[in-house]
Amino acid sequence: MIRFIIEKELREIIGSTKFAVTFGVCSLLIILSFYIGAENYRTLVDQHEAAKRENLRQMEGLTDWFAVQQHRIFLPPQPLATLVTGVSNDIGRMIEVHGRGELSADDSRFNEDPIYAVFRFLDLDFIFQIVLSLFAILFAYDAICGEKERGTLKLSFSNAVPKEKYILGKLFGSYLALAVPLLIPILIGCVLLLILGVPMSGEEWARLGLIVVAGLLYFGVFLTISVFVSSLARRSSSAFLMLLVIWILAVLIVPRSAVLIAGRAVDVPSVDEIASQKNRYSSQLFTEDRTKMAGYKPAAGQDDMEKTMADFNQFMQKIADERDAKMQEFSGQLNEQRENRQRVQRRVALGLARFSPSATFSLAVSALAGTSLSLEEEYKEAAVAYQRDYAAFMMQKTGMLTGGRVMMFRSVVDEGKKPQPINAHELPEFVFPKPALAGTVTESLPDIGILMLFTIVFFFGSYLAFLRYDVR
Amino acid sequence: MEQTPATQPMIEALGLTKRYEDETLALDNVSFAVRTGQIYAMLGGNGAGKTTTINIFLNFIDPTAGEARIDGIVTHKEPLKAKAKVAYVSENVMLYPNFTAIQNLDYFARLGGKTSYTKNDYHDVLRRVGLEDEAHTKRLRSYSKGMRQKCGIAIAILKDAPAILLDEPTSGLDPKAGFEFLGLLTSLRDEGKAILMSTHDIFRAKEIADMVGIMNAGKLVMQRTQSSLAGENLEELYLQFMAGSVERAA
Amino acid sequence: MFATLLQKELKSILLSPKFPATFAVCAGLLILSISIGIHEYQVTTRQYETATQMVTQELREQAHWSGVNNRTYRKPDPMQIFVSGVSNDIGRWSGVSQFEPVKLRHSAYSDDAIFAIFRFIDFGFIVQVILSLFAFLFTYDAINGERESGTLALTFSHPIPRTTYLLAKIAGSWLGLVIPLLLPVTVGVLLLVLFRIPFEASHWMKLGGLLGVSMLYFSFFVTLGVCISSLTRRSNVSFLLCLVAWVFLILIVPRVGVIIAGQAVPVPTVAEIEAQQDAYSKDKNEQHMKSMEAKFRDREALMSGMTKEQREQYENDHMWSWMEENDADQKQITKDIEAQGVKLQEDLRNRKALQERLAFSLSRFSPASAYQLAVMSIAGTDITLKSRYEDGLRSYRTILNAFTEKKQKETGDVGGIRITMDSEKGMSISAPKENGTLDLTDMPQFAPPANASVMPVTDIGILVFAILAAFGGAIAGFLRYDMRS
Repeated sequence: MIRFIIEKELREIIGSTKFAVTFGVCSLLIILSFYIGAENYRTLVDQHEAAKRENLRQMEGLTDWFAVQQHRIFLPPQPLATLVTGVSNDIGRMIEVHGRGELSADDSRFNEDPIYAVFRFLDLDFIFQIVLSLFAILFAYDAICGEKERGTLKLSFSNAVPKEKYILGKLFGSYLALAVPLLIPILIGCVLLLILGVPMSGEEWARLGLIVVAGLLYFGVFLTISVFVSSLARRSSSAFLMLLVIWILAVLIVPRSAVLIAGRAVDVPSVDEIASQKNRYSSQLFTEDRTKMAGYKPAAGQDDMEKTMADFNQFMQKIADERDAKMQEFSGQLNEQRENRQRVQRRVALGLARFSPSATFSLAVSALAGTSLSLEEEYKEAAVAYQRDYAAFMMQKTGMLTGGRVMMFRSVVDEGKKPQPINAHELPEFVFPKPALAGTVTESLPDIGILMLFTIVFFFGSYLAFLRYDVR
Repeated sequence: MEQTPATQPMIEALGLTKRYEDETLALDNVSFAVRTGQIYAMLGGNGAGKTTTINIFLNFIDPTAGEARIDGIVTHKEPLKAKAKVAYVSENVMLYPNFTAIQNLDYFARLGGKTSYTKNDYHDVLRRVGLEDEAHTKRLRSYSKGMRQKCGIAIAILKDAPAILLDEPTSGLDPKAGFEFLGLLTSLRDEGKAILMSTHDIFRAKEIADMVGIMNAGKLVMQRTQSSLAGENLEELYLQFMAGSVERAA
Repeated sequence: MFATLLQKELKSILLSPKFPATFAVCAGLLILSISIGIHEYQVTTRQYETATQMVTQELREQAHWSGVNNRTYRKPDPMQIFVSGVSNDIGRWSGVSQFEPVKLRHSAYSDDAIFAIFRFIDFGFIVQVILSLFAFLFTYDAINGERESGTLALTFSHPIPRTTYLLAKIAGSWLGLVIPLLLPVTVGVLLLVLFRIPFEASHWMKLGGLLGVSMLYFSFFVTLGVCISSLTRRSNVSFLLCLVAWVFLILIVPRVGVIIAGQAVPVPTVAEIEAQQDAYSKDKNEQHMKSMEAKFRDREALMSGMTKEQREQYENDHMWSWMEENDADQKQITKDIEAQGVKLQEDLRNRKALQERLAFSLSRFSPASAYQLAVMSIAGTDITLKSRYEDGLRSYRTILNAFTEKKQKETGDVGGIRITMDSEKGMSISAPKENGTLDLTDMPQFAPPANASVMPVTDIGILVFAILAAFGGAIAGFLRYDMRS
């Protein structure tokens, strides 16, 4: 019995012009988003490589590692990040590493190219979140009440058809008819990624697979919501109106309001306040140290220039280390305070936002793509780790770490030793670890769970509503 | 085809009463019986309770009191069992507009539990109800009302149920189509179906019904066999029983 | 005649369930967005004020003019309550000092990425996305729905000109949408007054402009809905077409336009530009260093035969001219570096301007992007916000640098620590003495760039053209419309 209903549902949906049109549009969009993602990835890789090269080129011709004034690292583009952009365009991508001190990321893509910020990107997340949910509503808003209006429901139930079988057939049938065809453009998109030479590791394919699974799950949520509303409403026009309002709430209102409510409810000290406090503390420390430096006297009777230099370096190193330690303690406290508040704020915001399946979906896929809020933290952690390597490298090369600008005037040039240019390629390379499959999956699991919960709730909602439905 | 003992009516209403939540009394103690090989025509104005009666037989609503039985099965107690023995044609047959007649027939025949039909069976039954061959593979969207009613009866025939319920099946049909439709009904009766039909059409009712009942304001106010109507003017009778009644919205 | 038709239209809209739904959604959203916007504005203004104060405080505590490292923040503008535009995406502040070029850094979204996830809802967004959807919802069955219900044939059994009917249809739906827009905006305006948002005459005019453009915008969608309805027979077909049109016009065309332009006109990244600039300045500085070394040597050479007293005497005599010499060199280099920076920036900006022009002209195929660009430029939160600010900051930097230089000369200190190593005298470190705090009274202040409201003539033209085209389509479709149901 269920089989006939599913078959009929498949045939009815796939045979309709409505399906041909919307499926065409959706396929076009999905393929387009893959194509744009791949092209975008290429551009980003080029830019990234260029930025890295320029960074090293700056050091060319320097004869002393002392003179390396700034060294920059960049967040490498990720293929998945172009399919699900998440916050990757909003957070800073460039960090200046000095070997010590605090790191701050700057030059977000939207800040550099605000043109992209005007209309934002067209990525897979967006297509699923906005277009496909609308697609689901469009096909299922009259699933029940439309059949009632047409009179086919009455005819069907003049037969010995149990209601539960009918609704199950309806739900599975429409899901099969609508969700499975979506796999075709997605597969074409994947092939496109291969053709355009986007390097994807096995784990990344697995993550992409999970993104698609989450997308189909999300599609199911909107399908069951639509069938649910359809089996509550008497007329299909009011069902559509109701669903449109739900869609606007879920896609546009709830996520944004949640974040704004959290912004009001949880106060986070502004970056400026913290930066200013740090600045003042730092200049205070430096003032103190200046007197110490002024008081420095090289050991008397020292003729050995090298030795004097080494002593001095050691001295400078020591006070810089002390200053650094104090500074780190101070700013560590401030940062921790801010981070804690931020964490609370994020928890509140995302917790509220998850009332909307769209927000939940978006969080799930950005976690899987590695472009969730944790990208910012991971990048910072990786940069801090790199800074340690860099510091060790510079220590080894120069014997000291100043962490600031150094201007050296040599009034004596050692004619005997022609200074050798440094080889910038000796610098340790910054490697941003690709998020591990296990980690991203764990991060996205709660959201996928919530999506499943939504599906189950509305599945049973439509089941129960239909059992009480007046088919006349 | 199942044989039922002649003693038991195929379609039977026993003191059917329906009172809606808003206290409207839609059916008031209605009783009648339709036996195998009989056509029962229910006459009555809009809101008399004809459709409510049929809805109770299909268990679309539960009766407040009394019972509706199909082949002895109480419809609101064992709806699925009862519905397996009923075919239904509505006033305005609406099928899936994107499906062809064959596809619609196939789906509803399967829903009715008949899975062994072949394409030829569908063509045959469509020819029997008077649909031209070229129409069989057209989408229902392009069908006229008469063609849709024919499809509806074709679905009922395919179900091969011992009882057939028809809710004003000829309303809105042109005279020729109406005539053909009633011809089909008589042939079905002759095959041994019990047929309950509600209608506005007094003349046709008199022509083909074995039994005529007139309903007014939820009551069955008159019930006569065809033979007893032979010499009478049914129209006059009808107007007489309807006198003083105020039409109510259904 | 027209009045009767209009009355009927209005009545049928006001009585349909669509209207209360639309009204509730629009009113809720608009009031929510305006009150959130007001709150955000207050918060950012407070932040701006404390940040500016802190910078001044820090400056005052500086000991030397040479160390003056000013930071200038972008001043929030109350118009961003209605149209936030790119104001959260571009940097909030820039350092203004001798040491670094002007560059807006750290956008609000990069500081608090949580707000970037779902973005803001503002007036512009609600009108662009939601109101247009409702406009379609009101009009997709304007003609064919009446045909299906049979009222069209009945209506035209009376002597009614078709254009009058069409106009009444459009006007009725339009009025039905104006109410859910204007009433909540009025409440929002009251909120502005209540919360004492500093709205000047120019702001009110801009707000009026926003409302005007918004009405033009949804007039387009109302007309397009009627047009689609009068070109189709069945309302479910026109409904589908409207939705597809909506998805394309609002979601797809604007983005695709920008992306195509991004592919077609590549622009060097800021990192590349900065690196080029750095390389140039490094080069220059190296030259400078070399010439300094050479000069030191020359001077040493001149003094080589002297006794200690003579030497001190000589140094004292020449100190001033040496300093001036060094200073002139230094200045020349700074000037060269700056000129190079300006040139690079100009190249970059030309490239970007080209890309922007292409992107926006492509995306303007959709009136939705024309609308968005129009309201952003009225509100002053459009893409030029960044360059406007950076230009203003650059000229401020020149003034400020001149000022600090003057001050430096007056106080005669260069700051920093001086480490001298000499093969004869060994090493010595000198740190200049503290001379208390700085007096900032006559320091030049940054004046935010005047937010000259540009009337977006092109975009308004596009909207008007789109309305006329849709109206033409509607008339053409309806004059040939088969009234039979």
